[in-house]
Amino acid sequence: MHRPEGRRWTLGLLAMLSIGTLALGTGDTQAQRRQRPAPAPPVAKEAPHTRVEEIKREQQPGAKESVQADVSARSVAVTSSFNGIEIVIFGAVDNSQQPSAESGFYDVMIVVEGVPGRIVVRRKSNVAGLWLNTSAATFDLVPSYYAIASTRPIDEIASEEFRASHGVGFQHLRLTPAFGQTQALSTEDVEEYKRAIVRLKQKQGLYIQDNFSVAFIGRSLFRATIVLPANVTVGPFETRVYLFREEKLLSQYSVRLNLEREGLERHLHGFAFGYPTLYGLMTVAIAVAAGLIASTVFRKTAH
Amino acid sequence: MQFYLPVAEMSANVLVFLAMGGAVGFLSGLFGVGGGFLMTPLLIFSGIPPAVAVGTESAQITASSVSGALAQWRRRNIDFMMGSVLLAGGILGSVAGVALVGSLRRLGIFDFFVSICYVTFLGVIGALMLIESANTMRKARRGTPTSARRPGQHFWVHGLPLKVRFQRSKLYISAIPPFVIGLFVGLLAAIMGVGGGFIMIPAMIYLLRVPTNVVVGTSLFQIVFVTAATTMLHASQNQTVDVVLAVLLMAGGVVGAQIGAAAGERLKAEQLRFLLAALVLMVGLRFAWQLISTPTDVFSIAAPVGGA
Repeated sequence: MHRPEGRRWTLGLLAMLSIGTLALGTGDTQAQRRQRPAPAPPVAKEAPHTRVEEIKREQQPGAKESVQADVSARSVAVTSSFNGIEIVIFGAVDNSQQPSAESGFYDVMIVVEGVPGRIVVRRKSNVAGLWLNTSAATFDLVPSYYAIASTRPIDEIASEEFRASHGVGFQHLRLTPAFGQTQALSTEDVEEYKRAIVRLKQKQGLYIQDNFSVAFIGRSLFRATIVLPANVTVGPFETRVYLFREEKLLSQYSVRLNLEREGLERHLHGFAFGYPTLYGLMTVAIAVAAGLIASTVFRKTAH
Repeated sequence: MQFYLPVAEMSANVLVFLAMGGAVGFLSGLFGVGGGFLMTPLLIFSGIPPAVAVGTESAQITASSVSGALAQWRRRNIDFMMGSVLLAGGILGSVAGVALVGSLRRLGIFDFFVSICYVTFLGVIGALMLIESANTMRKARRGTPTSARRPGQHFWVHGLPLKVRFQRSKLYISAIPPFVIGLFVGLLAAIMGVGGGFIMIPAMIYLLRVPTNVVVGTSLFQIVFVTAATTMLHASQNQTVDVVLAVLLMAGGVVGAQIGAAAGERLKAEQLRFLLAALVLMVGLRFAWQLISTPTDVFSIAAPVGGA
C-alpha cells in the first residue's frame, strides 16, 4: 500500500555491492549470500575492466554482444513487518561496443512478471439509483504483478510484433476470458474488462511501467530498480532482460526471484487456510481469554 | 509501525487499528452498546475487505461480550432459560448467515448487501432512538415520569403455543417469539459483523416485556455464544477471520471500554441515547452515500472466491 521509505541507502549500498561484484567477479553479493549460491557471474572474464575491454573491442570489433543480469535479492521474505520492497536489477553487456554510458548505444527492456492467475472483474451499474455490481467476467493468466523498466519508451525500442510475441507492454498481456463464463462476453466487453484490469492493477501499484528507469552506469553495466508493493502476491517472479540496438534484439536473459511468506506471517496464513476449523477455535479461545483477562483486571482496579 | 495482516493480506498500521479499537471501545463503554455496528463500518471504510471485517469483528465482539456477560452474571442479571432459547435461534441464524455470506461473495454482491443492511437497520434504529430520546428529554423537562415497561400487558405473540416459564424474567410466554428474535439476531450477526444487541434489547423490552434489569445480561449471554459460533463458522467456511487484526481491536477495545464506562456515568441516559442515535444515523448515511454516489471506477477486481 505504502511506498517503502528510507530504503534509498540500502539501494545505494546494493548497487555499489553489485557493481563491485561485477568488477571483481567474486560472486559475493548480498543477494547471493542470502540463498543458494548462484552460479558465479559469467561476466568475470571482463574483470580488470576498462583497459582489457578496450583492447577486446579493438581486437574483435564484430564480436556479438550478450547480456547477463541478476537481481539484488533472489528470495524475499514476506514477514509480519513486510511493507513492500525495492529490488535492484543489474546486468552487463558482454562485448559492449558502447563508447560511453550516456551514448544511448544500447536499449534495455526489463520485464518482471508475477505468477499468472485467475481474477474476477466486476462492473457496477446504477439500478434504481443504487450502484451495485451487475456484470462480471473471469479472466485467466492475469499476472499478479507486472513491471516494465526500460532505457526509453518501449515502442521506440522494439517493434509492435516483437512486443506482442514476447508479451511486453500492458496491451500485450495474455489475459484470456476463462471457460464457462456466467455471462456471455462480446469482443468489446472483453477489451473493456482487460483495460479495467490493467487500470485497476496500475492503481494498486501492481502494474508498473517506467520508461527511463534503466540506466547504464558504465560502458557495459546497467541497473534498474523496481518496487514490489506491500500488497503484492507471494510466489515466483520471472525477470526477463532484453538487449536491443536499433530495434534489433541482440540478446536476452532471464532470472527468477521468489517472494515467500516467512516466520509468524507464514505460520498464521498457513494455519488460517490449512486448518480453518482449528484456527477458528484458536481465535475464539483468544477472544474468550481476552474477555476474561479484561474482566479480572478491571474488576480488581475498580474495587 | 506496520504489520502485515495474514488473512486480510495487507500491511496495516498497528497504532491505527489499536486506536480504532480504543475509540469504538470508548463509545461502547460510554453508551453501553457492543460497538460492532461502529467497528465493522470503520474497518470497511479503512480498506479491510468487507467479508474480513465482518468475520474479524465477530471475534472482537466475543471478547468484549465475555467480560460484559461475566459482570452481569455476578449481579445475577441473566435469565438463562430465555438466553438459551435466544441462543438456539441465534446459532441457527448464524449458520444460515455464514452460508449466505459465502454465496453472496461468490456472486460479487456481498459488499452491496452489507451496505444495504447497514443503511436499513441503522437508519430505522437511529431514527427511532432519536425520536424516543427527544421525547423523553422533552417529558423530563416537563416533569412527567416515564416507564418503558408496562407489566401485565400482553401481545398476541405471547399466546403462541410452546409456553415456557422464564423465571428470572417473571414471564410465562411462548418460546417461539424469543427463538425467532434469536434467529434474526444470529443472521444479522453473521452478515453485518455485529452482536445484535441493538435489535435484541428493544425486541425483548417492547415485544417480550422482559424486565429491563435482565435484558442486558441475557442478551450479552446470547451474544457471547452466537458471536463465538459465528467466528468459528466464518473462519472454517469463508476463511475471513484475521487473528492479528482481531487481537489489535480487542486490545484497544478493552482499554477504551473502561474509560468510556467511567465517562458515561457523568452523562444522563437520555442525552447518551440522543448522541448514540445521531452517531448511528451518521454511519447509516455514510453507507447510503456509498450506494448512491457515482463510483470513481465502475469496475473492480478481486480474486475468485471459493475456487469458483
